[in-house]
Amino acid sequence: MSTELTIDCGHVFREISNYIEGEVDAGLRARMEAHFKQCAHCTAILDGTRNVLRLVGDGEVFELPAGFSQRLYRKLEQHLDQGNSPK
Amino acid sequence: MAATHVSLELETALIARVCKGERDAFYELVRPYEKAVYVAARSVLGNDEEAEDAAQEAVLKAFVNLRNFRAESKFSTWLIQIAINEARMRLRKQHRELYEDIERADHEGDYTPRDFADWREIPEETVHRKQLRQALTKAIAALEAKYREVFVLRDVQHLSIAETAKMLGITAANVKTRLLRARLQLRDALAPGLDGGWSLPEARYKKVRPW
Repeated sequence: MSTELTIDCGHVFREISNYIEGEVDAGLRARMEAHFKQCAHCTAILDGTRNVLRLVGDGEVFELPAGFSQRLYRKLEQHLDQGNSPK
Repeated sequence: MAATHVSLELETALIARVCKGERDAFYELVRPYEKAVYVAARSVLGNDEEAEDAAQEAVLKAFVNLRNFRAESKFSTWLIQIAINEARMRLRKQHRELYEDIERADHEGDYTPRDFADWREIPEETVHRKQLRQALTKAIAALEAKYREVFVLRDVQHLSIAETAKMLGITAANVKTRLLRARLQLRDALAPGLDGGWSLPEARYKKVRPW
């Protein structure tokens, strides 16, 4: 009985991403939550992973290189001036 | 996916105008997705300059092939797909053996986090700290392409798992496996600063592990 209820760190690592996505079933979710309550390591991994997602989720990770738009439209102009048009 | 949403009607009208020869309409059509196109190329290539070249080429290809665009998909999806294909083609040319690795199914074993730094909350001022931002960009660039692609499309561009799978031509299960790996690796890469290092001015990292 207890073996079904407990879950080890390896299992938690494998599912941590699905857990964050809300893609684990209710039973597994409950077992993971019970594990997090007892395991500082797994809780640290969970919090850190969530924080990575928070950091990258604001759209500021990749900046367009300076002058990107101008170079793009210059290239497009050249392309069009060569007589290219939609086929 | 892109931060800017253009109405479908406007897009359809712009596409019709481009096909009639109005080149300015094409600029208007593409402009809201410039960044998404660049980021998609960058997700594959992991390098500024190559990503910019691939993004430019993708936009030119989109222009020439605009008549092939079918309205079953969003214009942005179609455009970004072209960017990914273009970037993958360049990657394949440069590193054939690496690319073949991308194509292989995921057979790797479980990934175990290496560092258990405890990072409960990121203070708001730290989030914008240049040092942390640079470390993050570097860590993303250091991921293998197959992990980076999935991570960037899903977690940076906010595509759904299904859209990410479709865009990359892999299964949803593969997306999930690769996402797990990418997320844990990034957390590991940032972990040395996570337990306070990033919050310190002139941060010289100090170990403050409780264990």
